[in-house]
Amino acid sequence: MKFPEERQTLTRRITVLRVAAVVLFGLLAVSFWFFQIIQHAKFQEMAENNHQRELPLRAPRGVLFDRHGRVLVENRPSFNVSIVRLHTTNLDRTIHLLSAVTGVDERRMQEVVARHRNEPQYRPIVVIEDATLAQVAAITARRLDFELPDILVQQVPTRQYPTDELAAHVFGYVGEATEAQVAATTGLKSGDIVGQAGFERAHNAMLMGKDGLRTVVVNSVGREMGELEGSRVEPAEGRRVRLTIDYDVQKAAEDGLNGLGFNGAAVVLDPRNGEVLAFTSRPAYDPNKFAGGVDRATWAALNTDEQRPLQNRAIQGRYSPGSTFKMAVALAALEEGIITPDFKVHCSGGGNFYGRYFKCWRKEGHGTVDLRHAIERSCDVFFYTVGNMLGVDRIHKWSTQLGLGVKSGIDLPNEVTGLVPSTKWKKERTGEKWYAGETISVSIGQGQVSVTPVSLAVYIATLANGGTRVTPHLTKAEDDGTGWKDLPVPPPQSRVEMKPEMLHAIRDGMWMVVNAGGTARLAQIPGKDVCGKTGTAQVISNKGRAAAGMHRKDLRDNGWFVFFAPRDNPQIAGVVFAEHGEHGTAAAVVAKHVLQTFFAKQDHQPLPVFRAPNAPPESAPQPEREDQQAVPVASLAPAGGAQAEPGR
Amino acid sequence: MNMLERRLYFHVDWALVVALLALCGMGILMIFSATQSTTPRLYISQFYALGLGAVALVVMLAVDYRTLADRSHLIYIGVVCLLIYVLFFGVIRGGARRWIPLGVFNLQPSEFARIAVALVLAKYFGENRRGNLSLADLAIAGGLALLPVLLIMRQPDLGTAVTVIPIYLAIAYVAGLPTRILAVAAIVAVLAAPVAWKFVLKDYQRQRVLTFVDPSKDTRGAGYQQIQARITTGSGGLWGKGFMKGTQGQLRFLPVAHNDFIFSVWGEEQGFAGVIVALGLYLFVILRSLDAARLAKDRLGAYLVLGILAGFTFQVLYNVSMSAGLAPVKGLTLPLMSYGGSSLIATLAGFGLILNVRMRRFTN
Repeated sequence: MKFPEERQTLTRRITVLRVAAVVLFGLLAVSFWFFQIIQHAKFQEMAENNHQRELPLRAPRGVLFDRHGRVLVENRPSFNVSIVRLHTTNLDRTIHLLSAVTGVDERRMQEVVARHRNEPQYRPIVVIEDATLAQVAAITARRLDFELPDILVQQVPTRQYPTDELAAHVFGYVGEATEAQVAATTGLKSGDIVGQAGFERAHNAMLMGKDGLRTVVVNSVGREMGELEGSRVEPAEGRRVRLTIDYDVQKAAEDGLNGLGFNGAAVVLDPRNGEVLAFTSRPAYDPNKFAGGVDRATWAALNTDEQRPLQNRAIQGRYSPGSTFKMAVALAALEEGIITPDFKVHCSGGGNFYGRYFKCWRKEGHGTVDLRHAIERSCDVFFYTVGNMLGVDRIHKWSTQLGLGVKSGIDLPNEVTGLVPSTKWKKERTGEKWYAGETISVSIGQGQVSVTPVSLAVYIATLANGGTRVTPHLTKAEDDGTGWKDLPVPPPQSRVEMKPEMLHAIRDGMWMVVNAGGTARLAQIPGKDVCGKTGTAQVISNKGRAAAGMHRKDLRDNGWFVFFAPRDNPQIAGVVFAEHGEHGTAAAVVAKHVLQTFFAKQDHQPLPVFRAPNAPPESAPQPEREDQQAVPVASLAPAGGAQAEPGR
Repeated sequence: MNMLERRLYFHVDWALVVALLALCGMGILMIFSATQSTTPRLYISQFYALGLGAVALVVMLAVDYRTLADRSHLIYIGVVCLLIYVLFFGVIRGGARRWIPLGVFNLQPSEFARIAVALVLAKYFGENRRGNLSLADLAIAGGLALLPVLLIMRQPDLGTAVTVIPIYLAIAYVAGLPTRILAVAAIVAVLAAPVAWKFVLKDYQRQRVLTFVDPSKDTRGAGYQQIQARITTGSGGLWGKGFMKGTQGQLRFLPVAHNDFIFSVWGEEQGFAGVIVALGLYLFVILRSLDAARLAKDRLGAYLVLGILAGFTFQVLYNVSMSAGLAPVKGLTLPLMSYGGSSLIATLAGFGLILNVRMRRFTN
């Protein structure tokens, strides 16, 4: 070599480079070992999160049947449109485009997304529930990779309720679980659909299925490439439930109320076990509107509607029972030994109690009446007298035994409690003592007495079955996929022994109401021995009525009819409440249709069709106008007041 | 001549050739895997490039490197002209003017600049007879290296431009760059870094570096790529997800998986085992080439080998680091494996020269 020292440098420095190369490659190898072996699990998971989406498969809720197996509430397939923010580059643009394509309000979708902003990015946020086919078509046409890669269209089962608002208040409705519900319930996650009212809510656990899961592989722009093999967990449908409701009886009650044009409620029970055969509250709403997520406007409209369609009048409305309360007073007096069925009172059209004159609803008076006739004719003076002998506390005791002023225990949420006053109650409430004069109004179901329709139904059922305060309930049988199993009948709330002869006197009176000279002869059904009692209750004092003017509909009296049948072997008992029905006649017309339907079905006869009398109160078979008011005469408005009407 | 050629044939480093072909084969497999869902016939053009590269290799092998070195100034001038030409008439792709359209394929002259620079610098340092390198020598050589660097940077293509610098550094180093100057240069580099940061780097380049330090700052741009690169390799595990079964590459979570990030895909589908094989092959190629330099008959040969090897090695180290998220994301391909005709042809041509030097170590 010509330049040995240079050659030496070269060789030495090449060796340095050789060592450097080995060291650098060694470091790289160590780095890869660290990432690929030591941290493998972490990156494996990150890679899976990248390309795998767990999409819930919503489980269908359990189908609801009527007691004879007729489908009442089922599920239909619908489409949900969601945004997966993981693939969103510009959320505003996505929402804007989506709005342009579907016509859904942009602001509403933004609110939905804002509500879910804290959830993981990969979880789809449903912005359009129950999208129309046109919307779905428009979206899928534009859901190309780069226009709407973050939009997901999923098919989900949605609740399908009867379209005619049938039994809306029984079913209630479903909706997305609220944050509070998610927090309070284990196993519930945001976005789950749960019952929000009615049976759907009360029995949510039974009806809610178990959501399935499918894991799909998506590419970097979120396009679904297929389903991960073996990843699918099929959703489990909720339990199918057979309700105690009888579709035809239910329909009869609703046809009746709708046909007469009254708001109100009806509760029909099997007095032997508390099964609810029909349960309605009018006006109702269409639960289907909630199935796809109720929009703000609909919700606001339902809530501000003066008719209050969302209120379940049957369990949430408190009304004076009026004369329907008289059997409770009668039973109390008989059982307490204050009177016998033969006890007689002379009615001359009114009576003096504690220095005040209380009128009977019939100006001419009823003459001398015993218990049976007092019930038949609904004589106020008789019950003023008996109530006065009893005192309010004994009335309270016995009406509570019969189910009034307490909750019925029906399996629906948000039942309210009525009120039957007592001295103790008044002391606690106002600190004042009870005045004996107040008992007089209570004796005819006025004054402080207020009841829910369902509690009146229980009361009548208790009278019908001889003292067992059955628990009204809606569940008859369930099927978790292994066949129908009867559900246990909830135990009675209480039981009281009644002397048969006392009970018979009251039943006789109720029978006479319908079948003799009573106030509800139009409810007669030959051979069925219908027993009943009408009731009329003021919604405003006569004085207030005069002040408010005569023609405002919402000031008209409420009408009641309670009933059971047949007298000696009761199979059906219930109540019809006609809001502002003026008197019990309208309610009795509805009740008759319910009873006819029930018995026709039982006897395998053609079902009757409800035919509304042309102008309900006027043309209905004219009863004697009963107990108009129990307020002291002193407070009556001059010239007419409430008595102006019955003369027609 | 015939005798000579047969004798030379015996001295071809067949082990190196096999290693090179193995790496090319692995590259084509990964290109096939990564592009099946989008451009399923892309790997075929890589086959063509491999064929052309083989031709280039044989051509570079056949001509004595000393003959080439004697004409290195012409080659250098030719490449510089091409680099200037491309600045004005090149095809724009992805915002950069890098390619000269040649009908069948686009020629990327910057890929060939390294060979020209290696030749001209090897010639320059190889003919230096004064014993020690003077600062003037270093400066002249530096100028020769810097000209194409600046031209390539203008395209702009910082990544490729930077790969020219190691050629100069490596040749200067083995040519006897005094340790003193090396130390001073290192100090100057450290001091100049903040200045360069402020005045030389463009905003987007600064952003890339910042993103590298903290990828979470930019989870959709360069940071996204860096995170995805590490997820891709990391999720490969020991044995990998299997050929064409890598989710990251297949589902396009990693951009340009067949190109800049081909090693990530390799790591994902072939796992740590595959990574070790690939790294081993690259290291073998490098050590074998260093051997060629050591065995070279003259300094010219040694410098030529080291110059070519330096650019190659730098690119391999940088790309492999990047594919594990260990270096800022830069459009720098992995020689031999990445998709890209010009790169493959130029790389193989370079190795033709390395084989050339080794083969002719006994000739006069």
